[in-house]
Amino acid sequence: MRQTLFAQHFGKPSNASLAYYLTAMHGYASARKALSEMTPDQVIEEVKKSNLRGRGGAGFPTGMKWGFIPKQSEKQKYLVCNADESEPGTCKDRQILTYTPHLLIEGLLIGSYAIGCKHAYVYIRGEYTHEAKVFQKAVDEAYEKGFLGKNIFGSPYSLDITLHRGAGAYICGEETALLNSLEGKRGEPRVKPPFPAQSGAFGGPTAVNNVESIANVPFIISMGGEPFAKLGKLDKSGGTRLISLSGHVKKPGVYEIQAGELTLRQIIDDLGGGILNDRKLKAVIPGGSSAPVLTAEEVDVVYDIEPLMKIGTMMGSAAIMVVSEDADLVKLLLRITKFYAHESCGQCTPCREGCQWMESLLHKIVHGHGSTDDLNLLVDVAQNIGGKTLCALGDAAAGPVISFVKKFRPEFEEYIKGAKHHA
Amino acid sequence: MPKCTIDGKEIEFSAGENLVKVAKKGGIEIPVFCYHPGLSVVAQCRMCLVEIEKMPKLQTACSTPAADGMIVRTQADSAVKARAATMEFLLLNHPLDCPICDKAGECDLQDNSFGHGSPSMRSTEERRTYVDVDMGPVIQKNMNRCIHCTRCIRFGEEVAGIHEMVAVKRGNNLDITTIDGKQLKTEYAGNYSDICPTGSLTLKDFRFQKRAWMLKKTDTVCEGCSKGCNMEIQQEGNKVYRCVPRENLEINRYWMCDEGRFNYHYTQDPLRITRLKGSAFSPTPHWDEVGMAFKKLANGATVQILIGTDLTLEEMQAIIDFAKTQLPEAKLFHFGTPGVRRTTEDGPLDQILKMKSKTANLNGAELLGLSPLETEIVKAESVVVFRGGRAALPKIDSKNIIGVGVFKESEASGFNMILPSLAFTEKNGTIVNHQGKSQLLKRAVLPVGQCKPLPEILMLVLNAKKREGAGT
Repeated sequence: MRQTLFAQHFGKPSNASLAYYLTAMHGYASARKALSEMTPDQVIEEVKKSNLRGRGGAGFPTGMKWGFIPKQSEKQKYLVCNADESEPGTCKDRQILTYTPHLLIEGLLIGSYAIGCKHAYVYIRGEYTHEAKVFQKAVDEAYEKGFLGKNIFGSPYSLDITLHRGAGAYICGEETALLNSLEGKRGEPRVKPPFPAQSGAFGGPTAVNNVESIANVPFIISMGGEPFAKLGKLDKSGGTRLISLSGHVKKPGVYEIQAGELTLRQIIDDLGGGILNDRKLKAVIPGGSSAPVLTAEEVDVVYDIEPLMKIGTMMGSAAIMVVSEDADLVKLLLRITKFYAHESCGQCTPCREGCQWMESLLHKIVHGHGSTDDLNLLVDVAQNIGGKTLCALGDAAAGPVISFVKKFRPEFEEYIKGAKHHA
Repeated sequence: MPKCTIDGKEIEFSAGENLVKVAKKGGIEIPVFCYHPGLSVVAQCRMCLVEIEKMPKLQTACSTPAADGMIVRTQADSAVKARAATMEFLLLNHPLDCPICDKAGECDLQDNSFGHGSPSMRSTEERRTYVDVDMGPVIQKNMNRCIHCTRCIRFGEEVAGIHEMVAVKRGNNLDITTIDGKQLKTEYAGNYSDICPTGSLTLKDFRFQKRAWMLKKTDTVCEGCSKGCNMEIQQEGNKVYRCVPRENLEINRYWMCDEGRFNYHYTQDPLRITRLKGSAFSPTPHWDEVGMAFKKLANGATVQILIGTDLTLEEMQAIIDFAKTQLPEAKLFHFGTPGVRRTTEDGPLDQILKMKSKTANLNGAELLGLSPLETEIVKAESVVVFRGGRAALPKIDSKNIIGVGVFKESEASGFNMILPSLAFTEKNGTIVNHQGKSQLLKRAVLPVGQCKPLPEILMLVLNAKKREGAGT
């Protein structure tokens, strides 16, 4: 029997209310427990035990991230929640913001207490206007009840939460670009080191965590780190995963599974109801548009961080895009590449110049003017971008190009031979 | 001292030094564009990628501090390929208009392309173009040549203390411009051109004047104020084309102000008096007449000698010695900047480099024991003014005025006699800056017209007097 933490509360707008959260979800009990019965170190220890790994894409252990924040700091410490959810295909954080906003607030409260932060920020994607309203309402409710503000639950601990709306840039989902944007600067990634844990928001030690990561924390405190870890079927990942399933499946949507519970094929067939119009599966992008593509033969892999890494792709933000045999992968790659060229911040050379070049080359191929040399050049350009850029956007743009051409080269060659033309 | 190994060479370093600096110590040049030792590190251009043992990815040398035992390979295949790739990316949209670009010959993009790039181009795409903004009187912008290193933006914010250059738009459309397209305001704008690694920001003053490689360079010191910024005079055919700052971490770091940079123009001004001039001379004056004329004019009952603080120590000393024997009754004063009569009244004019004293050697004049001119108007029967070219002339109420040094027509209209001497570009000598540091002015160009070195002029006068003495 599958255990889920979030999914049962999704779908009903009224579930966003504090009343629902308090009654149906034992709301704020975890925070009360953490603030009154646990030391900050004990909270971090519990999160470490839970094997909670960052849900934003990199999969970095959350407890370890919090452990990096210095105990003593002259500068203010910050917890920043990354609600930018900008990786194409991802729409899971939106569910949390819309249906269980108090879960995120409670998670922020516990996390802030753990690292010694007095002011937490939620950086929300500019396009999420409705979600921002719902979340702000929840924050107001929490303030009203004294769950935020001064001396929470009668303890000496105080916390403020500020919701900050972005202006719609993909790059602001990258944690240091997010911090720049939060500070009112251009949304451009910073050089690391220093890492945010040393010098992040406004120069203070900062932990930047994804919405889903933080929203899991109240569960960890209520059930305990080890039981949470055991929800995961493989060793290294605890808890459940929210999966954004999209593309050519019969039932797209956000699903929750226990980490490592299903293979990619099971997710597509059992959760997604199989391929749309009962066509054949051609390809799967398993972790947001930046994840290297998988062929239909590769989908028997267990859907978790390590197994996917082993076959050269990544779980990323757990956004699965399913592609049926009807789709044109060359055009799909052009669409993806166009996105990254458009979203490149432009500060570092390979990404600024290279992404545009890749788009131009793909454009040429799609319109029937490409040659085999262009195709080889495309791959070489991608390799010159990958691993050479300041932030991960370069890798995100290069990964799809390299994997698409490697695994589906004949489709590109059809365009080059002139057998296929852009309609 | 800790050591690291770069390209098989063991190099000592001090904690915190980045790999670009450490490599340089060992004679290994790691190419850079966005990195500048005087600015913050942003690691944006990706030109300095090197391979470091035990690190999975190539690292930017500019943002990587050296560590004890670190093994770095700048010539690893992956690093060589990455640098070639960066060069290729940078040239995708660069116009390659080197034949008509003022930066050619001293261009980082050119040099690094030659050293690390490929001679052929794989791209057949159309190049990106921009419409340029007017950046004001100092800087000419050419955005098509820009490689987005952001040195200019950082210089403005971090050194000039003004946020005027910005990056707007993003990705492939990234534009480096001024806020709202306004003209540059900083008085240090010339540095934008110095630090620009391409021909994107060039000096209007130098534009289309001379190819960089034709210029001969002389290390000297700026005479614009008491700061004593180290600079280089660049000349060709006895004409100065440009002055640029030289690194001196104790004085001006890497920068200089526009006033100092363009100060040299007065030495080449057509209105500078470079021939003997004045009512005391025959219609075609010759240096032979100087001795007699000088004697006549400087013969009053009261004689004042004014010494500009824009002169060198050697020149001042020569004047003092000359006065002691030839005009023992004369009173000597130094002059330079109104309101800044002594070093205690001198001080910083801004937060960057400029000083209140607009002459270079106020400190030197005090060291030689000269007193400042305290009065607004100089009254004496005879006045002899010695001046290097920058000291602000006081009002002189006298029937007999002799000017020795550098004057413009308009400045010396009431003078009876002008003996043209050398400007700072034409002579060697010592000046002492506000910190008490002695620095050398060096001759970059030869004197023009009838100009003579000041000590030689004094000797001419002295010898003429002697000759006359022997005759009577």
